[in-house]
Amino acid sequence: MGGSASTLLAEPSAYSTHSLFPLQSIGGFVDRLIRAAGIRFFGVLVILLLGLIFAYVAGTLVHRLLVRVGVPESIEGTAFERAARDFETSTVEIISWLTRYFVLGTSILAALSFAGVNYADQFWTIVFADTLPQLFVAILVLIVGVVIGDKVELLIAERFRAVKLPQVNIVPPLAKYTVFFLAALVALSQVGVTTLPLLVLLGSYMLGLIVLSAVAFRDLLRSGAAGTYLLFTQPYGIGDEIIVGQTRGVVQEFDMFVTHIESEDEEYILPNAHVFEEGVGRVR
Amino acid sequence: MAALSELLGDLVADVDGLFLFTPSHSHYERFAEADVPTVVIAPENTLDAETFVELPLQFQNVKDRIRFGVEGAMEQSIVEAGDTILCNVGIFDGDPDSVVKVRVEENMRSGIYDLFANSRADPGVIRDVFEVAIELGKKGQKGEPVGALFIVGDAGKVMNKSRPLSYNPFEKSHVYVGDPIVNVMLKEFSRLDGAFVISDSGKIVSAYRYLEPSAEGVDIPKGLGARHMAGGAITRDTNATAIVLSESDGLVRAFKGGKIILEIDPEAY
Repeated sequence: MGGSASTLLAEPSAYSTHSLFPLQSIGGFVDRLIRAAGIRFFGVLVILLLGLIFAYVAGTLVHRLLVRVGVPESIEGTAFERAARDFETSTVEIISWLTRYFVLGTSILAALSFAGVNYADQFWTIVFADTLPQLFVAILVLIVGVVIGDKVELLIAERFRAVKLPQVNIVPPLAKYTVFFLAALVALSQVGVTTLPLLVLLGSYMLGLIVLSAVAFRDLLRSGAAGTYLLFTQPYGIGDEIIVGQTRGVVQEFDMFVTHIESEDEEYILPNAHVFEEGVGRVR
Repeated sequence: MAALSELLGDLVADVDGLFLFTPSHSHYERFAEADVPTVVIAPENTLDAETFVELPLQFQNVKDRIRFGVEGAMEQSIVEAGDTILCNVGIFDGDPDSVVKVRVEENMRSGIYDLFANSRADPGVIRDVFEVAIELGKKGQKGEPVGALFIVGDAGKVMNKSRPLSYNPFEKSHVYVGDPIVNVMLKEFSRLDGAFVISDSGKIVSAYRYLEPSAEGVDIPKGLGARHMAGGAITRDTNATAIVLSESDGLVRAFKGGKIILEIDPEAY
């Protein structure tokens, strides 16, 4: 290939010597190339080549490291991993490729600045050199956040499997989205987006929620807390005759917030907080 | 030689109301402004009809379906005894395909509507239990015909009028009928003897219950076994509804107030 390229460039008078000493001709070609483009071009080539090699090696190293510490097993079954599998790749693969692109991008930047391309100094360095590492970290944080969020959801759901209470199902997604939110915040602050308004918004939401629930849902919350205990331990069941304060009757139904007890002609619906305060007497 | 439309003309003459059973939207639009009051009878009021009777089960038997609709309308004072109504109802699958003229009589109150609308338990719970019983009757337990007894509503009283045959598999659990997984559980546990007790809101309180009602004054047809007798009798003693799947003839029957209210064949669904 070098031979044919050199034949194209070579003068017709030197044709016979070329076919006799091809190695020499390649050397001559590179020599001439360097002389034509200058040492700079050669340096750029070397930097790019080194970058390519280094990118590949770094990606492979990251891949091996992640596999060695057992990342693929521990994130098995998370939504992100499954989505990655659908595209015939995996989270570890994606991260290692990300590393490669990052290293390659850095080397391209280095090559550009080495080549002394003017607009590179003006434009690319400003736009890229500052943001590239941050962008890389941001994407990494996002991926890790999504994976950890999924994993947290799975773990909590597994932990709650023994609890036969449908209302508990709300907790795992809540934990997941909290982790997502945190990851998004960190990633956004990495790329330099001001996250303060988001934090303020969240804070005011939480404050509003707490104030509202403390004022408006006080009784419901109290009953809910008591009801959680009652549902878990079930000190009385449906069909038991109980006495709560002045009320006596057969338990017909109980849920998170209220207990229905029925005597001869009357049905009482007692808030669980009341049941808890008064204590329960069981009639044998 | 009379024209064919006269046949329908005779049927349509002097009716006091039109009952549309699960009509499509365009169908309803066409007849909503008819010269007689229109009543929609459907599982859900998706058409925003003014007068509406909820149909909790798609009764395959057209007679049951019409009876349910008429009873519901009587209960809501839409029609009264002596009225003549026209029912537009689908006998075969799909859109309404036939017109039935019905004279409303006081003795049409068989309690089917009452069973769903005025039971202690939520109508949705009764419907869900019906569906489980019907499915169980259709498929049986591993291909074998199986019997089952569900006591729905007034669970506190029912529990006090029964005793456990063995450990209660639903002890301290919070499972509700209508959940697909729970329906599978119910089917699995139906091989056990005894009754399922289900609360007003659909919580499965217990399986394996031996019912101990006093059986006097229970009015159920002769020839039904101990399961039906126990189920029928407990509904007289309490405000519960009993839904019984017979092992021998495979029919699903509902009891309330010690009387048999409804009998449906699972195979027909």
